[in-house]
Amino acid sequence: MKQLAVVGGGAWGVALATAAHAAGSSVLLYSRRPHGDLPSAVERTEDLAALARHGRTILLAVPSTHVRELARELGDHLDGHHVLVHGIRGLVPRPSSDPSWEGDELATISAILREETPARRFGALGGPVLTEELAKGLPSVMVAASHYPEVLEEVRENLAGATVRIYTTDDLLGLEWASALMSILGIAVGFARGAGVAAGLASAFAIRGVHESARVAIAAGAQERTFLGLGGFGDLLAAMSQNARPEVRLGEALAKGASIDDAVKELGQRIEAIELAPRIAEFAARHKVAAPILTTVAEGILGQKSAPELVQKLMSAPISGLA
Amino acid sequence: MSRAPIFHFNEQRQELVQAVVDRVIAETRDPVLLLNDAAFHEIRRLELAGDQDAVTRWRKVARMLGGLVNDGGRGRALELLREQALELAHDINGNFDRRVHYFASRFLPAGMSVFLRPGIIAERNPLEILKGEALAERIVSSGKIAQIRRLAELGTVVYVPTHLSNLDSPVFAYALQASGLPPVTYGAGKNLFTNPLLSFFMRNLGAYRIDRRLKFELYKQVLKTYSSMLIERGFHSLFFPGGTRSRSGGVERKLKLGLAGTGLEAYIRTTQQGKSQRVFFVPATINYMLTLEAETLIDDWLQEQGRARYIIEDDESTRVDRLTSLARKLVQMEESCAVRFGQPLDPFGNEVDDDGRSYDRRGREVDPRSYIVDRDGKVTIDHSRDAQYTRELGEVVMEHYLKDTVAMPTHVVATAAFALLRKRMPNADLFALVRRRDESVVPWRDLIDEIERTQRRLLDLEGRDAITLSSAVRGATATEVLGDAERALNGYHSHAILRSREQGVALLDPKVLLYYQNRLAAHGVAWHGGIAR
Repeated sequence: MKQLAVVGGGAWGVALATAAHAAGSSVLLYSRRPHGDLPSAVERTEDLAALARHGRTILLAVPSTHVRELARELGDHLDGHHVLVHGIRGLVPRPSSDPSWEGDELATISAILREETPARRFGALGGPVLTEELAKGLPSVMVAASHYPEVLEEVRENLAGATVRIYTTDDLLGLEWASALMSILGIAVGFARGAGVAAGLASAFAIRGVHESARVAIAAGAQERTFLGLGGFGDLLAAMSQNARPEVRLGEALAKGASIDDAVKELGQRIEAIELAPRIAEFAARHKVAAPILTTVAEGILGQKSAPELVQKLMSAPISGLA
Repeated sequence: MSRAPIFHFNEQRQELVQAVVDRVIAETRDPVLLLNDAAFHEIRRLELAGDQDAVTRWRKVARMLGGLVNDGGRGRALELLREQALELAHDINGNFDRRVHYFASRFLPAGMSVFLRPGIIAERNPLEILKGEALAERIVSSGKIAQIRRLAELGTVVYVPTHLSNLDSPVFAYALQASGLPPVTYGAGKNLFTNPLLSFFMRNLGAYRIDRRLKFELYKQVLKTYSSMLIERGFHSLFFPGGTRSRSGGVERKLKLGLAGTGLEAYIRTTQQGKSQRVFFVPATINYMLTLEAETLIDDWLQEQGRARYIIEDDESTRVDRLTSLARKLVQMEESCAVRFGQPLDPFGNEVDDDGRSYDRRGREVDPRSYIVDRDGKVTIDHSRDAQYTRELGEVVMEHYLKDTVAMPTHVVATAAFALLRKRMPNADLFALVRRRDESVVPWRDLIDEIERTQRRLLDLEGRDAITLSSAVRGATATEVLGDAERALNGYHSHAILRSREQGVALLDPKVLLYYQNRLAAHGVAWHGGIAR
């Protein structure tokens, strides 16, 4: 019997639980509140110990800001046989462990899991999947990444089915960085739309954005191909094709002159890319990687320049890399 | 649980060879494929080496294989494989060569032989013992010694130290003995055995031979099995996970762990057999005030930047005069060599306590067996899983290398001097800096200030448990540190490295300064610009 535990009662966690149920898994969802939209066979628990006993594989779908606290709590109930897979977009700042750098560094979610739990068999989910489509059972494609082939096996077995296809990679760090950076580019996509940038130029910004994201992430140890595939460019295309992603809506509001606070209030939800963008700009500068688009998003968020100024700045940025 | 029967090593060696071959044969799925691969690699290698006889032998094997691909041929193929595996296992196991032993014991300088092989002390006359001990006292051991002593009773200890010099293994062996820790077996490059000087003491260290020229799968299998079986049988082992000596002088920043990974295999296999042999990895650093081969290594590093390195067959360690000169120099110094034993770890990078229990980073106890079970709770060998565990262990070992690096006066002064050089040539790259031929004289005051600054940074790092300082750096004034370093550096190397003059301090060899400052580069204290490995 396939057994899967899911942590996170948000829309994404519920969508993953629904998909796993559809794929024939016995699913236990950890959530602090009841859900009307869950398939009746999906059980809910508020007990992490019970969750850890349900099966060896646990999917995490919580905001990146909660992951450390959650992992520390969950870690009390885990051991080396557990498989932890997260579908969390984001990088977590923490004091640098590198004595030659005294500021913060950006840790991946799996690095946080390594610090906070005794588990080792980690994986991540990403790719062009959209929460609403997955929840509705529409055909979807995901990317799973892990250094452990057995983890990828577990993910496939528990999630893949008639409507879910899963591609795999061993570039765990690459997929984690790609998911995080694509959320920043999502703001850029919305921004371009809001600023009335023509479709051709918007496409150019998108693909240049993917390339520069790859350059930035390579400095962190990622592989370029991850960015050019489903987990990078594929993910961004999904964001461009519709307005559902909150990052896109945020970018659009910013371009139309809204302040960041108003835009966030209007959206009614947390956007992790807001805090991440300036950190990525700083990371790129420290590693001497040219990142004009990501840096521009950071400036846009900080409200330092108007939309036309930012577009003008991008058009005049030095050309780096191949076409 | 067996108690590190190193003293039975030589007795067990022949039986071990047989056991290794048996396991390799038992686990071979396709003997023809394995033999084909061996023949292909060996014919190519031996042709280049001009060994026609061996080429002919392998050609014969390759021709025979053609007729053995069907099922009926499997028996004959396994027979052939057994012959080859046996030969390889014998080669790894090595032969005791009396002539080498005779030569080495007659012609080694007295002080040096004691240095290289402390066990010999009792056989020597008192005057020589005195000399030897004076030198031995200069090797300072520190770290988790009491804990490791206990763990050595509970399971097999696998030491994974940093690697700077061919003296590392004898120095490490000495440090083990002086710390009351049981001796170890270890694999040494076969090329080192052609050097009578090194071969002499390596045999006595329980060394087996690794032939780095052999790249085919069968050899790797035999070697790994040999190493795993040693650990399974409780022989404490030593591996230099950096692979080769650090060319740059820097602390290893990339570890493959390679053969050390057999520690995990040994743990899994014994657990499968129901008599789990716990395996404890001990990161360690071997730190020198002076490195025997510094000049050759840094030259090699500069020349070979970015290209595949060759195996150095001939360097300072083959020259008796350099060894004695180093020995003489080391005796004059307070703490000329420091071996630091780090935090013991399980094969999954968890810290272990005095009783061998594993703890995660949040201090929770964790059962190491839980890492090696599959979804059905069965203990398995899973090569890709286990390779990843070993990679992750390598990362933890490297964190400990940084913490356990012992900063010495030569490192500190080289760091300060190199910083001043760079200030003079702010736009120069690595090569421009080290190729500088005219001598730079820096004002004495500037150098002292820079040394003080470096000391302050080091003290701060030590406070955060990010490095360890030798007593000659921690409690000393900058002037004392400079004096120590100057005395050490001048007189051993082929020429003076830096010299105090009336108008200031002359920096005479930026290359050697680079080498010594590199030790502190990964800590962010010394210049980073020249570090890759």
